[in-house]
Amino acid sequence: MENKAEHRLLNALEHIQQTQGAVSDEALKALAAEWGQPLYRLEGLRSFYPVFRETPGAPNRLQICRDGPCRLKGEAAVKALKDALGDRDDIEIEMVSCLGLCDCAPAAALNDSPGPLPDHADIDAWDIKDRHSISEHLPTDPYPDTAAHYSTAAQWLKRPAEEIIAEIDAAGLQGLGGAAFPTARKWQFTRAAQGEPRTVICNADESEPGTFKDRHLLEHAPHLVIEGILIGAAVIGARQGIIYLRHEYQRARAAITKALNKARADGVLGSDAIGPGHDFDIELFISPGGYILGEETALLEALEDRRGEPRHKPPFPTTAGLHGGPTLINNVETLAAVSTILARGASWWREQGIGEHAGLKYVSVSGDVKNPQVLCLPWGTTVAEAIEHCGGMADNRDLLAFSPGGASTPFLPASAAQTPMTFDDLRQAGSGLGTGALFVVGTGRNLAEVLLGQARFFRNESCGKCVPCRVGSNKGVELADAALNHQPNAIDAELAELHQTLMRTSICGLGQVALLPLVDGLKRFPDEPSLQPLRGQTPEAD
Amino acid sequence: MSDVSLTIDGVEVTVPEGTTIWEAAARYGIEIPVLCHDPRLEPVGVCRICAVDVGERTLPAACVRHVEAGMNVITANTEITAHRRILTELMLSDQPEQSRREATTGDDSLYALARELKVSDFPWPDAKSSSNPPRGQDDSSPVIAVDHQACILCDRCVRACDDIQHNDVITRTGKGHSVRIGFDLDVPMAESSCVSCGECVAVCPTGALTHQFLGETS
Repeated sequence: MENKAEHRLLNALEHIQQTQGAVSDEALKALAAEWGQPLYRLEGLRSFYPVFRETPGAPNRLQICRDGPCRLKGEAAVKALKDALGDRDDIEIEMVSCLGLCDCAPAAALNDSPGPLPDHADIDAWDIKDRHSISEHLPTDPYPDTAAHYSTAAQWLKRPAEEIIAEIDAAGLQGLGGAAFPTARKWQFTRAAQGEPRTVICNADESEPGTFKDRHLLEHAPHLVIEGILIGAAVIGARQGIIYLRHEYQRARAAITKALNKARADGVLGSDAIGPGHDFDIELFISPGGYILGEETALLEALEDRRGEPRHKPPFPTTAGLHGGPTLINNVETLAAVSTILARGASWWREQGIGEHAGLKYVSVSGDVKNPQVLCLPWGTTVAEAIEHCGGMADNRDLLAFSPGGASTPFLPASAAQTPMTFDDLRQAGSGLGTGALFVVGTGRNLAEVLLGQARFFRNESCGKCVPCRVGSNKGVELADAALNHQPNAIDAELAELHQTLMRTSICGLGQVALLPLVDGLKRFPDEPSLQPLRGQTPEAD
Repeated sequence: MSDVSLTIDGVEVTVPEGTTIWEAAARYGIEIPVLCHDPRLEPVGVCRICAVDVGERTLPAACVRHVEAGMNVITANTEITAHRRILTELMLSDQPEQSRREATTGDDSLYALARELKVSDFPWPDAKSSSNPPRGQDDSSPVIAVDHQACILCDRCVRACDDIQHNDVITRTGKGHSVRIGFDLDVPMAESSCVSCGECVAVCPTGALTHQFLGETS
């Protein structure tokens, strides 16, 4: 696997960044000569991916999350820290997009070590090792101990692939990265597709504000994800697997590396891994950064050494994915669920849900709850129950609004809290389950700022490829920001119209949803005082 | 390669498999407006002006989407025109006060499209009221004037430089709303490996890449 990685420009750039602290012009000129690549191509890559820096900057870099739950809970703390560190030239502060640590909001990373934002007095003694350091046995992990790992794959790989697909189908598993596409159908399509190379990719680029369940799964049960990839590879006939992990998940990176090494040592991966003469191994690829890479075709572009700009679909990756071959791309939780379902059986899985709902769902809960955390809940659990599992609302606040599925899913009012957390129920309620990221906002918060914050996130993370998303998301944010923070302006109709154009003409999902929570919130919360400036009205003074 | 039959604006058309919707329409005299597309270049489908309705959740770009048997394509209706107008307004809102192309050769495609769609006023903040820094000009080359503010990131110059001339100089640099075109490692054009062939000026639809004026103009 190491050999393959060395043949990728992005790995070479990552290596330069790691060893030299920056990707300088001189380094790129040397790389261009060595690889026979034009300079412009390297510039395109360096400038697109946030991990690559042109200059090293200060010796220490403190990245602070500016999105969703962290912005909600951290503005005062961030300001205090910035003020206290203002005269320190050994520390550079950088406001960044969601770090996937919404359970310890406001979250930060000092020199790539992630954790809760430190008090300025503690900055020199930053220690993040105490968080999440104890490995938990997850409720969906069917194995009593490590000796039993991969026994599900060993058993099922002896059976016809059709039986594997039938079992997943019987469990009713849908893609848990947010798209809800039936997993069995995706596996069937990819299996049926002709061509080479054939690849299984685990999308572990979890980067949507409020979403951190995949990090939890990868840290505590990487073997379930690896086993899911292995089974997927057997079904579609893949010789290569890739885990595409976001750069910021350092602890998950260590857990996956350890698990992969053990799987290789035990012969689970490597020669004859999925049958005689059928080798299979998994590469861990660390993303050079950016939310857009979670879009599956942008992810493929990155793996092919280009700027991570989404492709036009069709063709879909199932038929023409990585290097043009059939590619099975599944989310972390989906692949882990495959292992659980095949270990326990589809009927067991179905019994875990409430009523007619099947299975267990990992839900990331963040915002104004007492104990933000990842919950493993029976499908059909309501939003109100999830909040209760987190100790209820924090700081004596009442529930004002919640977004149930990540930054792209509209906020619903407190009156909708009895909605079960399922794809269908939340869609009917006007929102969506998305990634299963429940962002809870309490009374006393400025809902308009929260809604604009979601739009800002998408604006900041737009790849810039197509006009509606690149220009439209920015104009929408600027228009709303001016009305909210400078001069009230009746722009609700214009924003709604702009959203229609973004939704219908953007190439990928990012642009299609960039303004959705803001535009939807303006319709759904007609009496919310904080939103009145967007209707041209001055909010009443408190 | 076999033929594919479909309907475009109610017209039954038959074209070879692999033809794009835009090519198929053009072949039957149906004109779909474009900005980023140039028939000499591989399509990229980024300006979205050629968005058409094929009955899906979103509107694909006709320049990149291949025809499919039985497809029913609508190239213009009230909704599509509204989107084209907004997309045009969005691009216009960032334009400099004067397009060097419109001011000289008078063939700025963005302004032509705006006239066709009767775009006049728009609610979107313009470049002057924007919190984003101005994107600037690059007058380093004695031959080619670069006005980044007029660039709509259509990618035509990037493709022309690479695919037509094989000079391999231009890239998109940066990300999101701050993307610009850049030369080599994002150096001024005169310091880059640009040979001033002029192909980028020839394909640019706006005032972003134009010939330098010979002497002062008013």
